[in-house]
Amino acid sequence: MISALEIDPEAKTRPLWYVYGVVPGDLIPGDESEWPSVGRAGDVELVREGALAALASPVAPSEFDQPSLESRLREASWLEEKIRAHEQVLELVLGHSPVVPFRFCTVYRSREALRAFLSEHRSELEATLERISGKVERGVKAFADRNRLAQATMATTEDSVVEGRSGGRAYLEGRLAEQRNKEEIERMAMELVEKVHARLDQEAEESTFLPPQTRDVSGRPDDMLMNAAYLVEAESPGLEHALADLRRDLGPLGIAFELTGPWPPYNFVPGELA
Amino acid sequence: MTDRQDLPLQHEVTLLELVDRVLNKGVVLSGDITLSVAGVDLVYVGLRLLLASAGTVDRLNGSNGARELEASGSRS
Repeated sequence: MISALEIDPEAKTRPLWYVYGVVPGDLIPGDESEWPSVGRAGDVELVREGALAALASPVAPSEFDQPSLESRLREASWLEEKIRAHEQVLELVLGHSPVVPFRFCTVYRSREALRAFLSEHRSELEATLERISGKVERGVKAFADRNRLAQATMATTEDSVVEGRSGGRAYLEGRLAEQRNKEEIERMAMELVEKVHARLDQEAEESTFLPPQTRDVSGRPDDMLMNAAYLVEAESPGLEHALADLRRDLGPLGIAFELTGPWPPYNFVPGELA
Repeated sequence: MTDRQDLPLQHEVTLLELVDRVLNKGVVLSGDITLSVAGVDLVYVGLRLLLASAGTVDRLNGSNGARELEASGSRS
């Protein structure tokens, strides 16, 4: 395959176009000099095509062409800076316009190539913008302190623990009780997740479960029972109210919640455009 | 728990939340240059340094993000 570089020696210095997301073409941006950027500060443009516009930045091939990108991705500080810039640009728009977020590092060779992409996927992008208009994504995680859950389930398994016996039989019965208690905790945890999700889902237009994070990732000592995303009306306090109810009802059982966002609707846009 | 203890943790969690979404979700591909499967692996190398948490990286590697990229990467 012939690379663009071989047929066009200027390709090495001509800027590439990094795309953060797609917005309606009539969006009037604020002061663009204030914008963060994955390129130079303030360097964010609306590249318009029909009724759509891409939020994009011209970026240096020395940072974002394929070979450069591959070495940059190993640099932790570069990666963090760019990931944060990607999100900050989207969040600036999120307050006053629907935005279809793109995945990190989607880059076009030219403004023309980017506009051709917008034109080609016009109907799907417009339909997605309409669907998410006025809505934002919120993340909700539920955590459980297993010891407290265990205490809560004790009442149901206590009867089977026979006191006063000794030796092998006591050991065996102890193990059986332990096993039953463990199963009981799991069952209770699943019921709790169903209950929590059913309540939150009432307040959402759409919802999706994400894989629960391990303790390493969550940075919390308790177990993550649920990791979910909800697409909600941006102005509606419904989800917060539901969460307040759940905290009140389930807090005494050792269940804790974490609310994140508002996010651009990363989890509610098509992964791949047709 | 004091604020001082909270801060570094909060910083990490927030970045991770971001990574989860920015890297694994959102409209993917159709760009001229995008993260190939190799590129995604490299992001995880960077992330390993960033988060210094093997659990994070293993979990992210297990997600279907890389597979989606691979599938659409062959289309051009």
